[in-house]
Amino acid sequence: MTGSTPLLPRRTALLAGMTALAAPAVSRAQGTSAGAPLRLGILTPLTGAGGFDGPRMLKAMQAVGEEINAAGGLLGRRIEFAVEDDQTNPEGAVRAARKLIDVDKVPVIMGTWASAVTAAVAPVCWESKTFLTTVSGADSITQLPHQGYLIRTQPNNHLQAGKHAEFIAGTGAKKVFVMSLQSPFAMPTQNRVREVLAQKGAQMTGALLYEKDKTSYRSEVDQALRTRPDLIYLNGYTPDVTILLRELYRAGFEGPRFAQSYSVTDKALESLPREVTEKVYTVQPSSDVDSPAFEAAKKRLGTGVDSYEAQATDWISLVALTIAKGREATGTALRENVRKIAQGEGTKVYTAVEGLRLLGEGKEINYEGASGPCDFTEIGDIVDCKFRYQIVENGAFRFLKVA
Amino acid sequence: MENYLIAMGVSAGIYALMALGLNVIWGMAGLVNLGLVGFFAVGAYTSALLTTKLGLPILLGVVAGAGMGALVGVLVALITARLRGDYLAIVTLGFAEALRVIASNEVWLTNGTDGISGIPGPFRADLGPVGFNLFFLILVAALVTAVFFAFERLSYSPFGRVLRAIRDDDQVAAVAGKWVIAYKVQAFAIGCAALGLAGALYGHYTSYIAPEIFVPLLTLYIKLSLLAGGVGNNRGAVIGAVLVVAFLESTRFIIPLLPGLSAVQGAALREIIVSGALIVLLRFRTQGLVPEAHSHPLIPRQPGAAAKESPTHA
Repeated sequence: MTGSTPLLPRRTALLAGMTALAAPAVSRAQGTSAGAPLRLGILTPLTGAGGFDGPRMLKAMQAVGEEINAAGGLLGRRIEFAVEDDQTNPEGAVRAARKLIDVDKVPVIMGTWASAVTAAVAPVCWESKTFLTTVSGADSITQLPHQGYLIRTQPNNHLQAGKHAEFIAGTGAKKVFVMSLQSPFAMPTQNRVREVLAQKGAQMTGALLYEKDKTSYRSEVDQALRTRPDLIYLNGYTPDVTILLRELYRAGFEGPRFAQSYSVTDKALESLPREVTEKVYTVQPSSDVDSPAFEAAKKRLGTGVDSYEAQATDWISLVALTIAKGREATGTALRENVRKIAQGEGTKVYTAVEGLRLLGEGKEINYEGASGPCDFTEIGDIVDCKFRYQIVENGAFRFLKVA
Repeated sequence: MENYLIAMGVSAGIYALMALGLNVIWGMAGLVNLGLVGFFAVGAYTSALLTTKLGLPILLGVVAGAGMGALVGVLVALITARLRGDYLAIVTLGFAEALRVIASNEVWLTNGTDGISGIPGPFRADLGPVGFNLFFLILVAALVTAVFFAFERLSYSPFGRVLRAIRDDDQVAAVAGKWVIAYKVQAFAIGCAALGLAGALYGHYTSYIAPEIFVPLLTLYIKLSLLAGGVGNNRGAVIGAVLVVAFLESTRFIIPLLPGLSAVQGAALREIIVSGALIVLLRFRTQGLVPEAHSHPLIPRQPGAAAKESPTHA
């Protein structure tokens, strides 16, 4: 039993260490009594692949938080944020989410970005009855059994592909061919495009999947042209779409082509001859740039507002209004009440402060956000979203519309 | 708070299992394996697929996960039989990345980048979130203890001595009549079984796995654990893993107390602290906090036996 004596101080040391670890949390997480700050969780990527978008989303949320605090707070309490870094890594993100839920006792976590991170954090949230808001776009996210504890403001793949198909049919194209890069988005996009084109009286004459990093797509181009399409939808990234555009031109295809904005960039236009890129349509999800909510976000942040910042603005606004509506800051109350202020017949409001004032007067409200109308389906997807369309003419983009 | 500490205990336990596995391969046999996370992924995917797609019991899935880890370990060991040092490190690193790319692309099997969700956990529904957490901590602690004693036994067995001989100079071991490659393969198999076991447990604990979990960052955390604890030493592996998790987590609480730091700067500072700690360890304490013991845990060293320090490998 000689080993037991040195064990004791070690155990004491461990206990002391744990207490030290807990001390700041205890002092900060003082109860939920009136007057104490109301703590909300933010979990964005501050490092890793999402390190560009995460900090800006964080800033957008903090700006709205300050505005609410300046206007008297929420339920008479100041909003305070518990911020953690998800490291754009599911393993690290789960540990961070545990800290937010178990130590900070937040009713909501806002901000996960990568789909894998969201899918990893979501079970922790719904098991602990914590609400989660995200920008992750993969269709599978909202199909998780999240029991309503999740909403996302990013249009999912289904919605995007549907809108694309509507636009394509609107250009008058009757026969459409889809060429997709092998990715999780490829098949869902093709299926949805086929469906919507058929509804709109057009037809998807064929589709194919291609591998990335090939130096030539000649056989794929031949396969597409064999169906004599009016329009070709190129669903890939810049390297492959650049090659496809060139080879379609060489093969004599003169009809319009349709692609995501991220694949036809300014750089790509510079690198290709004008004839090759003539009449290429591009599309991207857009914030609701004409809405007063977007205008308010721009003023608040003092800069241009991109889609992610607009969505972050909407999360914190939705969360604040929902808490005010239900007069209760819990994940379950958020789940129950979020659709009562996000959609419906109430007075349209465009900022959290405005909404809080009307709620205080006992009025019904319907929050219309900077990213869009913010109406949610049963499973937490947005019902509608604006898209920005452009066309390439003479080697430059011409704005068509936001619709 | 308790729930959080319990969850971090589970993380530490899984890290400890991985560090124990790495210790057999790297600490005892001296083979630099930077593909840890690949074997971890093999275990996680094996168990997740068997339990979700075929509906096998979790226990069977976990055993299969460890077994598959060992099998892939043997395969990699045979492929890299002639490689040592930096070259082995590069190939194992590449192996883990290749596995990750396969997991992202073989959608029919792994569900691609969407990952596998809804992996069952033992008694998850019956115990509720808090009970399950506690149960899993007990389970992981028991497994770490079992693996620890098994590896400790292994370390002081003749087998362990041969591994250390190979680590210090494999030609001498070969001259002494030891079949070096066979020992290396076995070391890989045993170590990778522990890695696979850790992976399987991870999947059943968090209920979700995806290719993006298996990035080199996790390999570095485990390497840091073993370096901090002491390479070549099972006790060090466990202590190091607990320390690394405590360290990673405690920075969450300490950094917000520093004045004038934004959240973004705080996040960057956390990463700097981790890298800084690694550099300091490598510079000032290569043998780790608990250096490798030179005598048998039960049978003390004979007086007069060579007391020369063997060089530490870091």
